[in-house]
Amino acid sequence: MFTHDYSFRGSHAEKVKDLVTYKFDKEHTLFERNMDVYLMAPIVGFLYNKKSALDKTKTSTTNILAEIMIKYQKELMFTYRLVMLLDKEYEDDVEKRINKAFRDYAKEDPKDLEEYDSYVRGGVDVLYEKLMKDATQADDYIRNLYEFMADFEDRYSQNSDEIIDLCKLAKE
Amino acid sequence: MLLKSIKVKDFRQFKGEQYVSFSVDPERNVTIIQGDNGAGKTSFAQAFRWCLYGETDFSNKTLLSMAVSDKMLPGDEKDVQVEICLVHNNIEYTVTRRQKYKKDNTNRISHVGRPKFVISYKTDDGNTEYIPEVETELKMKEILPADLSRYFFFDGEHIDSMAKEIKDGRSSDFAKAVRSLLGLNAFIAALEHLKGNGRSSVIGRYNESYNAGADETLSQLIKNINTNNDRLSAIDKRLEELEQQDAYANDKCQQLRIRIEKNQDSKELAEERNKIEKELAGLEITKKEKTGLLLKNFNAHAPRYFSKKMMKDALELLKTTEQLDKGIPDVTAKTIDYLLARGYCLCGHEIKIGDDAYIALNKLRDYIPPKSIGSLISDFSASCQDKTISTASFFDNFQDVIKFIREFDNNRNNLEDKLKKIKERLLGMENVGSLQQELSNFERDLRKNSDERDSLNQEKGVVQSNIEKDEEKRSSLAIGDKNNRKIETYRAYAEYMYNILKVQYDKKEAETREQLANAVNSIFKSIYNGGFSLSLDQKYNIILTADERIKANDDDTIETSTAQSISIIFAFISGVIKMAKENQGSDERLAQTEPYPLVMDAPLSAFDTKRIDTVCDVLPKIAEQVIIFIKDTDGNLAEENLGVRIGKRYTFTKKSGTEFETNIMEVG
Repeated sequence: MFTHDYSFRGSHAEKVKDLVTYKFDKEHTLFERNMDVYLMAPIVGFLYNKKSALDKTKTSTTNILAEIMIKYQKELMFTYRLVMLLDKEYEDDVEKRINKAFRDYAKEDPKDLEEYDSYVRGGVDVLYEKLMKDATQADDYIRNLYEFMADFEDRYSQNSDEIIDLCKLAKE
Repeated sequence: MLLKSIKVKDFRQFKGEQYVSFSVDPERNVTIIQGDNGAGKTSFAQAFRWCLYGETDFSNKTLLSMAVSDKMLPGDEKDVQVEICLVHNNIEYTVTRRQKYKKDNTNRISHVGRPKFVISYKTDDGNTEYIPEVETELKMKEILPADLSRYFFFDGEHIDSMAKEIKDGRSSDFAKAVRSLLGLNAFIAALEHLKGNGRSSVIGRYNESYNAGADETLSQLIKNINTNNDRLSAIDKRLEELEQQDAYANDKCQQLRIRIEKNQDSKELAEERNKIEKELAGLEITKKEKTGLLLKNFNAHAPRYFSKKMMKDALELLKTTEQLDKGIPDVTAKTIDYLLARGYCLCGHEIKIGDDAYIALNKLRDYIPPKSIGSLISDFSASCQDKTISTASFFDNFQDVIKFIREFDNNRNNLEDKLKKIKERLLGMENVGSLQQELSNFERDLRKNSDERDSLNQEKGVVQSNIEKDEEKRSSLAIGDKNNRKIETYRAYAEYMYNILKVQYDKKEAETREQLANAVNSIFKSIYNGGFSLSLDQKYNIILTADERIKANDDDTIETSTAQSISIIFAFISGVIKMAKENQGSDERLAQTEPYPLVMDAPLSAFDTKRIDTVCDVLPKIAEQVIIFIKDTDGNLAEENLGVRIGKRYTFTKKSGTEFETNIMEVG
């Protein structure tokens, strides 16, 4: 899993291209690479409960090479497990979700992957909307980025200590 | 010189022949010419200068009336003519200047040949005589030199530059012209005749007349004396040049110092501007760096930070799920291997390959290490822990950087506001640095000139003493020759006469100058009470000095410089005229002079009411004749203040419907 080239397609490819274009000056972009969008998007898609279908109305594509995918495989796998564990809408049975996360991933079930990808695309839509809205200059992007972060903090702020305690439990 | 009349024909706005006769009544010696702006007052004033000196300030040099030239056919010719009738030295002169214009096939108007300049005069028996053509310019110079004419034909639009000229004196020609006006001409002419620069003076010619014959020593002496005299002339000329350069440089230095003083603030402002601009540039760089840092952190840590909520949910889910791991605590694959190998279970049940127990035990391998997902979950939760720890302060840090950036923005806005204000203030100011540079250049010129002058003066001393020595030797050698002896004697007479005359002239000149200075100053004080005094230096340059009270309190000087300039010009001209009048009445035979008119173009409105009073009261008393061009709006002012002095009135009216035609009408 996550060992092959990945392609964003259609409107999502266009949005990703825009997200990695210079917005601040000739050195700085919101996202450095496609991979950075790809790492972030499924989480955002899942938390904002936004799945998007593959857009076939446009022919644009933008890729992530296999070697980059492999390099980040562990990170990607981690997110994949999170999504599989928590996506009740997709699979109601906890045990099955756990299996999808920890046992069956190696089977690379196309349905599971498509589920994951639909969050990736949904996340791209959310990121694009939140970060690009009404922005024309550097200060606008900073403002949007901050508002997005603050909104997220409002919605999903977590106490790190709680998580760390849970981790200890899980490892016992 | 008194002006009797002027007649213009097809000159600029004045189509056809138009005529103004000036009042020469000593009591009612003011002629008023009144007209709206654009009615042609300035053009008319220029008609005087063109007629007398052939000069105008028009940018379009064509003098022919457009109303006339428009109606000309290709090939047609027309004359422009101005004729001035004036009295000088009790002789009535008519000065005429005429220029022919022709329209060519392309309808272009151009002048044909040079203007014709004619001066005629009436003899005692009433006949008209003409000044020979070659002598007309010279005659005009005698009547009123062009150098000085501008102070009598007074142009309101050039007041400041005129005042400056009067203050600076411009050249020795100017001083000469003033001296001649003050009746010192005869003296000067005599002195020039006897011992002017060059070889055409009496003494100069004598110096050339020595006959050395075969006497080589004498020949050498004569040669030396001539060479040295030439050198002396050259040194004098150069010294005069230097003096002019110095006057210019000193004037510039003074102006620059004032400007530097006035703009001193700008230096500090400019420094502040540079400081702020530097600070702003620094802020931009810092902001850029901070933005870069923010985005780098965002890219590196945001996914982890964002996934915290999911991690928590996932961990809770894993916690609440029973039998996450179906393995038996502390039983590993090795335990299974051991049991299978020994052939019976922990409970003693026999295990055979392929039987139920065998299958069950083997299946157990999936749930116990190393095949157990427990380890994966354990890894997973370790990951969760790492990610959580590494992003614990992510949002706070993010906020801090945002706060930083916003503070930069506020600072930048403040600085930009400040910068804008400074730039607005600087807009009207001059760059002190470049002024300072300019000042240094002039000061350096002055030092250079001073050095050159020192060495020239030194050389002059040497040359003079050489001439004296050589002349002494020449005198003794000249005795030997009859002719030379004669020349020597004549020369000595000429020198003697020159010296006597020079002493008298110097005395007279100094007296005259002092009188003039007093006259100018008293007139100045009566028309300009701004706490300043005027004095004259040896070259008749006017020096303006502030009275002590003013010096102590600069802010009291409320007068505008234009009012001051006008007052200086009036005072100077009036002073010269007053002196000239007084000299005319005196018995001094050598000091003869003429009265002069004052032709002024519209200066009244430049004064305040009080000053108009004074000017109108003083000028007609001083000048023999005043011709004043005023705006319609100044009419009442002039009437009020000059009333009883007005001898003649004219109005200039633009012909209705035309821009370029003016009619002159006598009023009353």
